[in-house]
Amino acid sequence: MATPGTIISGVGHVGLIGWLIVGWGLTSEPLEIQTFDVSVISGEEFEQMTARTTPEPGDADPTAPVPPVINDAPPPPPAQEEPTQTAPPPEPVEPPESEAPPPAPPPAPPETEVTDVPPVEPAPPVAPPPTPDVDVSETPTPPQAPTVASEINAPPPPDANIDDVVRDEVVPDDSAEAEVVEEEQEPTAPEETTTEIVIEDLAPSTSVRPSTRPSRPAPPVETASAQEEPAPAQAEPEASEEDVAAALEAALGATQEAPAVAAGPPMTDGERDSFRVAVNRCWNVDPGSVAARVTVEVGFSLDREGRVQGNEVRLLSSDGDQSATNTAFEAARRAILRCQSGGYQLPADKYDQWKDIVITFDPSGMRLR
Amino acid sequence: MMKRILAVLVTLMLAGPVFAQGGPLRITITDGVIEPITFAVPSFEAETPAAQQAAADISRLVVQDLAGTGLFREVPATAFISQVSSFAQPVAFPDWRAINAQALIVGAVTVNGDQLTVKFRLYDVFSGQELGQGLQFAGTVAGWRRMGHKVADAVYSRITGEGGYFDSRVVFVSESGPKDNRQKRLAVMDFDGANVQFLTDSSNIVLAPRFSPNGDRVLYTSFESGFPRINVLNVANVGRQQLQTAPGEMAFSPRFSRDGRQVIYSLSNGGNTDIYRTDLSSGQHVRLTSAPSIETAPSLSPDGTQIVFESDRSGNQQLYIMSANGGEARRISFGQGRYGTPVWSPRGDLVAFTKQNAGRFHIGVMRTDGSEERLLTSSFLDEGPTWSPNGRVIMFSRETQGAGGTSSMYSVDISGRNLKAVPLQGGASDPSWGPLQP
Repeated sequence: MATPGTIISGVGHVGLIGWLIVGWGLTSEPLEIQTFDVSVISGEEFEQMTARTTPEPGDADPTAPVPPVINDAPPPPPAQEEPTQTAPPPEPVEPPESEAPPPAPPPAPPETEVTDVPPVEPAPPVAPPPTPDVDVSETPTPPQAPTVASEINAPPPPDANIDDVVRDEVVPDDSAEAEVVEEEQEPTAPEETTTEIVIEDLAPSTSVRPSTRPSRPAPPVETASAQEEPAPAQAEPEASEEDVAAALEAALGATQEAPAVAAGPPMTDGERDSFRVAVNRCWNVDPGSVAARVTVEVGFSLDREGRVQGNEVRLLSSDGDQSATNTAFEAARRAILRCQSGGYQLPADKYDQWKDIVITFDPSGMRLR
Repeated sequence: MMKRILAVLVTLMLAGPVFAQGGPLRITITDGVIEPITFAVPSFEAETPAAQQAAADISRLVVQDLAGTGLFREVPATAFISQVSSFAQPVAFPDWRAINAQALIVGAVTVNGDQLTVKFRLYDVFSGQELGQGLQFAGTVAGWRRMGHKVADAVYSRITGEGGYFDSRVVFVSESGPKDNRQKRLAVMDFDGANVQFLTDSSNIVLAPRFSPNGDRVLYTSFESGFPRINVLNVANVGRQQLQTAPGEMAFSPRFSRDGRQVIYSLSNGGNTDIYRTDLSSGQHVRLTSAPSIETAPSLSPDGTQIVFESDRSGNQQLYIMSANGGEARRISFGQGRYGTPVWSPRGDLVAFTKQNAGRFHIGVMRTDGSEERLLTSSFLDEGPTWSPNGRVIMFSRETQGAGGTSSMYSVDISGRNLKAVPLQGGASDPSWGPLQP
């Protein structure tokens, strides 16, 4: 038996369903649907396509997809091997490819072929360690494909137009007959794509820093070997035992020479403070003296035990007259020498950071007021 | 391939840090310690048998002088590891470093008849170097104290960079008897209270003696005539000369000009006191102030271009500075209480003064623009500051309270440290520190 409630409910439901069917007040704009033309290709054609993405040994222009990016990103396996061969970081000049951009400045050619020892490392650094990468990546590579797709497309030929439509590879010679010949007049190719987003690729300009050193180049041995066997780009120059030994020797030599440059991790604030306090407690200031108005800067060198070498402390600068400066300097020197006793306690592994020290003794806060 | 990569990695590991940081480690130190410099004085070598006593005495005097400044502390002989038996003997620096002696003074004394010669060398122990060169003084045996002071002055000067003050004399008023019948006479002494010599008898009241710039004369105020008069006394022969003033005038609080040819002083006439300058050779007077208030206690700046004095023109005693030729004065003291007896420092940067505030007297210093006022002492009655020749120490009078109170002299470092009494028999007041003796 139908109650009034049932009737009302039934009418309501019918009404709602009817409104939904009719769709009054509801706008229904068709969703954009991206459509692609799909063509079926044969296995041979696919092989041909993929083959073009990896330069073949004998190709005239093997450089294309190579360098640094591949060091970081994991591109398709076949491509990975090739670049590691062609671009080992420290051997900048390796690719004999006389091609486009040769390794930056002409590195003094006559130089140290025999020595192998770092060409004196004369132009001291300024550049941070990553430089070797820069040298390598310096070979101008075309930017990686910005487009991500489900499959990899080889970079289009330089004169090809980008087109959404994937036309059968316009490779007339491969296809059997010549009926489609007219197509050659407008070569088109799909936009270059890749299967992954390679972040480095998005900002290629930042990865290539202007090298401050003219090439850290040419470990001569490498250059020589490269010249001897100029053959294929992939040809791996052999790394002999001598090469390893030479590299090690060169590295050790470089660190030993390291002209006025400190090595090792930097001193922490705590280590600096500890040293400062060690000198503080021996710096005797006479606040009533004229010397208490003079700031002096002194320099000295420490041996590995933290002792002042030769007990020699040098006056570097002062803002007072001669007499007051002498007194202030003597007080500073006394402080440094007196508190060294068995040697200042400084981190041994950071010797290069503290072997040369400059201390400014500023008594302005201790003057009589 | 792997070897090659390995070589590259090793290269980078070893060479990489080379580029991490350049230059020396730079540190700035702004806080030190304030403590005496330690020194050792092995007994000076007696190069002749007759020099034994003098060598020992001079050694002790050098120690006293240096340690008495508060800036040095002696390392006692009992701590010595090695001895210095010969002046020419090389110094075993490690032995002196071990006992933390920062300075080492070795010396030798020779006595031939009445002639005494003392020589010394000063070493900076921790640098293992001699500070300056060896120095030698010659004098009479009787003057051995001066020889010792000379050595101490040289040491002090080489270490602090400032002139010494040990070989100097102080003129003062020696006092004896009860407070209500006190006998006063002029006397001079070594800076340390030794060698007291009287310049006047106690028949007249004498006040405020002041040394001339070269120490050959003393100005003082005498009540011989019943009125205060200024006398000039020759220290060598105790001859006197009175500064001429008109009858009824009272002259007091004199000081020499920097060249010793003129005297600036206060002259009271008709109830008004002003500052005057008199040329000692011509007797010509020049009035430098002209105000109805009391202007007194003038003191010249080291360059002789300005005068600091006290005046009550503002209602109570304050300090003012004016040109040495008179003219408008500017007030430099603005603190609570009353300021008086200003004395310009030999360095020229400070003015010492007596301050009376809240029932206490203080000796203090301020910069010549009135800034950075510092009170160095506080007592029932401190007054009359005088500067050591190097501007480092202030000597003053201190009087104790009560009917049986006595007057004595104290010295204090301008840092406010090392306050100590000058050891003297009897009372003493009104010190005036003379120059370093030649």
